Amino acid sequence: MGALGHFLERQGIATAGISLVREHTETIRPPRALWVTFELGRPLGIPDDPDFQRRVLRAAAELLERTDGPLIADYPENVAEAADFTGWACPINLAPTSVNTLAAEIDRLATWHDQAVARTGRTTIGVSGLDMPAAGALLSSALQGDLPPAQALKEAVDDLRAYYLEAASAFPDPGTPAMRKAWLWDETRFGKALLDLQPKLSASADPQHKILANLTLIPATERHRLAKT
Amino acid sequence: MVKRLGDMPEVEANHLRRIECPTYEDTPALAGKPLRERRIALISTAGLHKRGDRPFRPGDGSYRVIPAETPARDLVMSHISVNFDRTGFQQDHNVAFPIDRLRELVAEGVVGSMASVHYSFMGAFPPAAAEPHAQHLAGLLKQDGVDAALLVPV
Repeated sequence: MGALGHFLERQGIATAGISLVREHTETIRPPRALWVTFELGRPLGIPDDPDFQRRVLRAAAELLERTDGPLIADYPENVAEAADFTGWACPINLAPTSVNTLAAEIDRLATWHDQAVARTGRTTIGVSGLDMPAAGALLSSALQGDLPPAQALKEAVDDLRAYYLEAASAFPDPGTPAMRKAWLWDETRFGKALLDLQPKLSASADPQHKILANLTLIPATERHRLAKT
Repeated sequence: MVKRLGDMPEVEANHLRRIECPTYEDTPALAGKPLRERRIALISTAGLHKRGDRPFRPGDGSYRVIPAETPARDLVMSHISVNFDRTGFQQDHNVAFPIDRLRELVAEGVVGSMASVHYSFMGAFPPAAAEPHAQHLAGLLKQDGVDAALLVPV
């Protein structure tokens, strides 16, 4: 991100950026950066809070008037920690014993995904170009040893991940995003499928499969689960 | 609340520590100009694009074009990393791509005007792969009358 500040400023476009990782910004030294303490993935801080987001964006934009860079300004507001999820339980039973197949699990979530789309007016699915049953079928056939090209598999998996998390956001008792991500890995056939797929990709001779296995399939925070499977 | 890498969960902090950051001998800083006279573009590195555009791939230093009038329902994210939250973007695109907030700052008179086209890279690019694209992009921005960019990471 900070590198773009260097490139564009040299070409005559003034830049100011948001920084999510101060240590990275201190190394790259872009012209102007507003450091925020928000979660990675949420550079404006809080979804559906236009006033908060506008304050952050305005603070970043106001840095454009400064010429004393490289500078890092500390944004003064923080986002409160999400509540602890002790005691939260998924309101519908999607545990692996409740459905026989990944396909059945995907089908069961469809009504909740419809609810989510009705509420937000949008979905972030649509990178792979596949519908969700087809994306699930691709993942299932990969698990059976028929590995598709890494890019197609990655896009299908990312669409499925969005489908599951968007659907879960419409559950009657949706909990917090952290709870829903824990649900995906703890409770779903999809999460188990990803963990089962990882060693197959890792053993592939295709270097793109290895990138997927080692970097872009399982989040760093969930890789501890691999040893258990 | 995340403050510094040392405050993050160890596994997440270690992942971020392993990311290699480029260094530069000097940092250019163009002359200041009042914000209310600026025409501003948003440049995201969240791997955003319109549904149907080419998804990003590992090592991809190119950008995708997001016209200002693009409906939020047409935006998707194909960043290759799985190590950041996507549920915020799923709930409200503005938390990662604050186009409505920029529009409001223009309406309030804080910012002069907004670019007619915005852009997204996919932040896991090697800097050398992105530099030629960024140079080309600077020309496109100037053609649109843009004189400043807000860089929004993910």
